[in-house]
Amino acid sequence: MWSYLFKRLLHMIPLLLGVSLLTFLLMALAPGDYFTALSQNPQISPETIAHLKARFHLDQPWYVQYFYWLKSVLSGDFGYSMAYKIPATSLIVQRLWNTFLLSFFAMIIAWGIALPLGIWAAVKKDSWIDRGCSLAAFLGLSVPDVLLSLLALWFAAATGWFPVGGAQSPVNDLMSPAQQFWDRAHHLILPALVLAAADWAGIMRQMRSNLLDTLRAEYVTAARARGLGEGWVIYKHALRNAINPLLTIFGYSLAALLSGAFIVENIMAWPGLGRLTMEAFFAKDSYLVVDCVVMATGLLVVGNFIADLLLAWSDPRIRLNK
Amino acid sequence: METATALLTAEAKAPLSPWQLFRRRLKRRRIAMAGGVILIGLYLMALFAGFIAPYHFERQDRDRFFHPPLWPKLSGFHLVVPRYEAGDGSFVYHLVAGDTKPLRFFIRGDKYKLLCLIPATIHLFGTGDENYPAYLLGTDQFGRDVLSRLLYGSQISLSIGIVGILLSFTFGMMIGGISGYFGGRTDTVIMRLCELIMSIPALYLIISLRATFPPGMSSAQVYAMIIIILSFIGWASMARVIRGMTLSLREQQFVLAARALGQTHLKVIVRHILPNTFSYVIVAATLSVPYYILGEVVLSFLGVGIQEPNASWGNMLTAAQNTEYLRNYPWLLAPGTAIFVTVLAFNFLGDGLRDAADTKS
Amino acid sequence: MNLLEIKNLKMDFGIGADALRAVDGVSLTIGAGETVCLVGESGCGKTVTALSIARLVPAPPANYVGGEILLNGRDVLKMSNRELRDIRGGVVSYVFQEPGASLNPVFRIGNQIKESLKLHRPIGTPAPGTARTNETNTPCQRPALQDYDAEVIRLLKLVGIPAPESRIKNYPFEMSGGMQQRVMIAMALASEPKLLVADEPTTALDVTIQAQILELLHGLKQRLGMAILLITHNLGIVGDMADRVAVMYAGQIVELSPAKELLRRPLHPYTKALMNAVPKLAGGANRLSAIPGNVPRIGNFPPACRFAPRCPMAKPECSEKIPELVEVEAGRWVRCPFWK
Repeated sequence: MWSYLFKRLLHMIPLLLGVSLLTFLLMALAPGDYFTALSQNPQISPETIAHLKARFHLDQPWYVQYFYWLKSVLSGDFGYSMAYKIPATSLIVQRLWNTFLLSFFAMIIAWGIALPLGIWAAVKKDSWIDRGCSLAAFLGLSVPDVLLSLLALWFAAATGWFPVGGAQSPVNDLMSPAQQFWDRAHHLILPALVLAAADWAGIMRQMRSNLLDTLRAEYVTAARARGLGEGWVIYKHALRNAINPLLTIFGYSLAALLSGAFIVENIMAWPGLGRLTMEAFFAKDSYLVVDCVVMATGLLVVGNFIADLLLAWSDPRIRLNK
Repeated sequence: METATALLTAEAKAPLSPWQLFRRRLKRRRIAMAGGVILIGLYLMALFAGFIAPYHFERQDRDRFFHPPLWPKLSGFHLVVPRYEAGDGSFVYHLVAGDTKPLRFFIRGDKYKLLCLIPATIHLFGTGDENYPAYLLGTDQFGRDVLSRLLYGSQISLSIGIVGILLSFTFGMMIGGISGYFGGRTDTVIMRLCELIMSIPALYLIISLRATFPPGMSSAQVYAMIIIILSFIGWASMARVIRGMTLSLREQQFVLAARALGQTHLKVIVRHILPNTFSYVIVAATLSVPYYILGEVVLSFLGVGIQEPNASWGNMLTAAQNTEYLRNYPWLLAPGTAIFVTVLAFNFLGDGLRDAADTKS
Repeated sequence: MNLLEIKNLKMDFGIGADALRAVDGVSLTIGAGETVCLVGESGCGKTVTALSIARLVPAPPANYVGGEILLNGRDVLKMSNRELRDIRGGVVSYVFQEPGASLNPVFRIGNQIKESLKLHRPIGTPAPGTARTNETNTPCQRPALQDYDAEVIRLLKLVGIPAPESRIKNYPFEMSGGMQQRVMIAMALASEPKLLVADEPTTALDVTIQAQILELLHGLKQRLGMAILLITHNLGIVGDMADRVAVMYAGQIVELSPAKELLRRPLHPYTKALMNAVPKLAGGANRLSAIPGNVPRIGNFPPACRFAPRCPMAKPECSEKIPELVEVEAGRWVRCPFWK
């Protein structure tokens, strides 16, 4: 098992390097940079700009820039955000945390809805419950994140039950710890629900079909033949095996979740990585775009690694294969 | 014994051809058929958008910003539209009781090009009177007819799905076929590349790619750009699956036979291996079109895709991001509903196709 | 009273106009301690018949339209779920064709066997197996179970698994097919059943392993005195194992006979054809003869004698009315009026 996990871990390094290199290359291909707009400004002298460019190595070819960037990132420094005029590291860490919070809670809600529903639908196959669930899943799969987010905005504005935008209220700093916690949760609920609503349907359908597959398996008949109760057969023998393929699709579902979060963040003004990416994009702060893409990919890669861990823990065939 | 048993159990009845079986199974799935019919309707509407739309998509009615939707009523043998009168100031309209105008069909109006080719002025319906506009879905913040923009926008949003799929799936199939057929180092390099592309959350990669294009592109260039960006991402997953299928197909007899007849590698891949993946590809394509449509929607919505005054479902929704607009003029969400219906129809059709193509059941 | 008495069992797949008759009027008895072989080609209904004994065919699609299955004198088809769970394992245990697929891949084999023990012979209570009295040759009453692990090891030893102490922690995929099948047998024996149904237990195994497993089943039967219903498509293994043989074709039993007599002198044309399809070591250079035509598929059964279209001795009457299963000699039943 350890060698398997070690291999997966080792696999992450070239992947992240490749992703950063690719994004860097794309940014190098992009026409103009942050200083193109700055040089239009008559109040800033060309010397100042040249000086700034030299400071950020922007006068060097892109691959040299890449190595400077890589060197500083490896020492934990994400450089300086030219658009925000603050060190990028604190910015990135804060936004990454917000995206993580949003995705994590959305995931918990989505899986919390999808797994029981999927099991229920599979056990009651072809009943009205099953039909209802699969119709709901169809609607859930088809409703675009953009529309859901807009509807949520409308709902928040119309009812006033939820704050519109942001991760906390402006006076959060002045609150007591309990109030702070509630304030953040209050801001988080609606975006997380929207993201979950876009995410649960695929998982539910997967859960249903996995369980139907395992319910047809011979070991389930064999378990029944031993006189085990139907509940025990379903919830111990069949379900335990239906979980494993779900863990292998976890990666795909996480990728979709992060893309969904990108949309939700931008529409509902949740200050996460996706929103930062768009802000950096419009400000032509290309290093910051690269940082965001790499961090988002990192989040995905780490998520996949955790799924691998869970799979190894759950499936003895993977755990014990040398 | 073994041979005897094999002989005994061999299939006797002349089986249906796979295609017959497929059609028979598909027909049994009404919901998939419904999805198909809805899609045909939507694409026909996009094709004849200029004719069906009562107005040109750029036409502004400066007296009627945020005009509410009008519902035609039956009066005698005519459909009539009521008239709304602007109230004082802030885009509030009052229904003027009893003041109606019959809706007329095949009526002269704004110029457009039928099928983007033939200049025409005949529209499906209209009132022919500027004071009695036929804003069935209301107007937006610039006084433009939402229905007309929705129809023109569908040309962009719906076609991007199809063109994008064609491009990326052709590319993905070729690359996947080559990768699986030749194997070795080619395969390793291609598969690592696919993994790389697939490991970046799609929208982050889309925005990075978007950054490489210069500002101030023409609308045709933007259209092409969106397709290129979406296809750049889309080919990878296709290539991976096709590669897997090719790996097993290349070991089969008919491939050996084709090689023995002296056909080139490329011909073997294109003529003998890839056709065997078609049933999978068609299902996957149907289920993937929504992602391309949604890709365009998101790009245009975020302001980096189709630009005003051109209409697309994405950039029409941008106005709805303003909560004040959204609360007072909910008809601005009409494009969202259109996206929803389209995606739903594709999912219904794709799901039915998949079940019908599934030989296991 | 016989241990198992199947009387005129009729079972459909599906209901109404779509119904396909899978089992059509099967009657079969098995006495305590007896070994009966059910022989037939795939698709003839033998597996469905066997699974019906503990009502293990999922319903729907299965639909029992007639007959009864008396197990210990009680009709399985009328049992509640609770009662069914008691007889499954408690009276009748199963060994299936694919040991790899019949063992749950994610649980240790020791735990899977223990599951049966906990259910049917919980610690402290007298084992239900001790309740059986006169009908089998149980030498003595065994005391109640003291320790699950020890019993699992005893069972694994019983089915010939070497070093069982180290094996109980194995997962199924860590064992060979033959070993997996031994585990399946141990699991079936754990609940001390009176009837062991083995559905093609050796088909998926290597030839050398096949003989070992059959040997094992034979030995266990001698020692434990349970009845065995062995399902196979291979007439070659009948002689060593069976007391009686039932030959099934297209959902019906066509011949029922003591094993030795059947092998010496098959009566039904289908049985004869099957015999000729078995390669004989001593038979010289005779060609193997395949039966012409194909097994009729469920739903496509010929209207009268189901074997008539492939029968070398078919007469015009054969395609007019269904022949009855008739006792033509003592203990020999044949579904063919022209058996002579």
